[in-house]
Amino acid sequence: MKRSRILLLIVLLVVVPATLFLSTRLPGRSYYLMSAIVALEILIPFFAAYEKRRPQPRELVTVAVLSALAVIARVAIPLPNFKPTFAVIMLAGIAFGPETGFIVGAIGALGSDFFYGQGPFTPWQMMAYGVAGVLAGFAFARGRLPRKNWIMGLFCFLCTVIVVGPLLDTSTVFLTLSKITWSGALTLYLSGLWVNLTHGAACFVFLLLFGSVILEKLERVRNRYGMMESDENEDGV
Amino acid sequence: MKRAENDSFSRCHPAVGIVFFLGAILFGAMIMHPLYILASGICALVYYCLLNGVKGIKTVAVLLPLVIVIAAVNPLFNHEGEHVLFQIFGRPYTWEALIYGASLAGMLVTMLLWMGCYNAVMTSDKFITLFGKAIPTISLLLLMVLRLVPNLLRKIRQLAGARKCIGRGAGEKSTKRQQAVDGMNVLSALISWALEGGVVTADSMKARGYGTGERSRFQIFRMTARDIVLLVLLGTLAAAVIVAIARDGTTAEFAPVVTAAPIRGLHAAGFAAYCAFLILPVALHVKEAIQWHISRSRI
Repeated sequence: MKRSRILLLIVLLVVVPATLFLSTRLPGRSYYLMSAIVALEILIPFFAAYEKRRPQPRELVTVAVLSALAVIARVAIPLPNFKPTFAVIMLAGIAFGPETGFIVGAIGALGSDFFYGQGPFTPWQMMAYGVAGVLAGFAFARGRLPRKNWIMGLFCFLCTVIVVGPLLDTSTVFLTLSKITWSGALTLYLSGLWVNLTHGAACFVFLLLFGSVILEKLERVRNRYGMMESDENEDGV
Repeated sequence: MKRAENDSFSRCHPAVGIVFFLGAILFGAMIMHPLYILASGICALVYYCLLNGVKGIKTVAVLLPLVIVIAAVNPLFNHEGEHVLFQIFGRPYTWEALIYGASLAGMLVTMLLWMGCYNAVMTSDKFITLFGKAIPTISLLLLMVLRLVPNLLRKIRQLAGARKCIGRGAGEKSTKRQQAVDGMNVLSALISWALEGGVVTADSMKARGYGTGERSRFQIFRMTARDIVLLVLLGTLAAAVIVAIARDGTTAEFAPVVTAAPIRGLHAAGFAAYCAFLILPVALHVKEAIQWHISRSRI
């Protein structure tokens, strides 16, 4: 087993439960704090693996470009909430593998918060955006799912509405509810649903129109300049 | 990403800043004692206004009514508590729920204000100074993203302008559908341009020897004697607050009646330490303002 995967398992099986246990022992509204710490802990093994790999400049710059594109996908289209950010992150995951997808998402979230303001939601955002990249990377690795426009679009829509959006809403639940109750949480999830649906729809339309065009561009860069050790990524981590 | 030039605390070493904000936010999220929340709220409010000037006061003017609204609304949903003020919609409106709502709203707004101060003080260069050694690759990535975003935005305007010139772009009057499709076209063109440009940058990095040795970093911040004194001071005060938390000096119950730990004896010391910890940036700012005033009046 690779060392990075052992670290990930240790974090998920030991560190995160320990933090959750500790949170039941602390006073006040520590659950928000602890949830943010858990989100940070999940980031650590991915970042550590990336540092360990010592990526080449070509890979590094490409990842930076993709993260920056994810940030500005928020700005390029002047319609509220109609932002294909997740589509860009997921395309990165599909083209370059889940690990790169995670880094693109996490760095994209952190970078965009330097422009739009950091908040207690930043660790959550980094994790949720990273997860978007990982999921897409896994699902489309080694031809598990055909890389067709409508399939990528549908996958991205479902991911956004079912996984990534609710993850972000969870941080709102922890942050704003005075008492965490099922009904209170449900109200927040439902009020977030509309935003998630528009985000998802934006991703769907974007991928339907441009999915394979952009994927081709990414794969061309990867193949032409021999980036990201393709045998490692075909593996699906 | 503006920088608070005139603030003394902002010019300290980033380590001082991160220790302060971590302390302010961690303690803020853990302590439910109304007096502690009030103290933190006042410090955050003053510092926020000092950093942001008139704009800050405007933000605060929006946030304060928010506290009152949240506090007033909470008893409508939460009926715990013994002291019933009046009945509304056939349900009791209790004093305890009101205080609980006020505490929660105060805590939330205090957090927002501290995050606002954090954004003004801990700029991206400080962030990278702190993490450049521990996570060199990730912080280099972040640095490149921060540089690329304005660069790409400029390119987007160029692309959109060029498309408009040949009559293909979407304007203000276009339908939403046209705006969306046009935006995506621009984004697609941008992706090709940015990826090609990235490869050129990467080759240039490689030619200049990226990855051949340990990367040196541009360091503008030096740890001065004053920074060390501040760090020790912050550490001692934080330790005193932790002792107060451990000895239950910061506990508060809101049901069935409001009972907060009395601020007496050792607990008073803990509370004083908490106030001293949080007032530090404001104190530095005011001290410098006074010194400046005195040295100017001497001329």
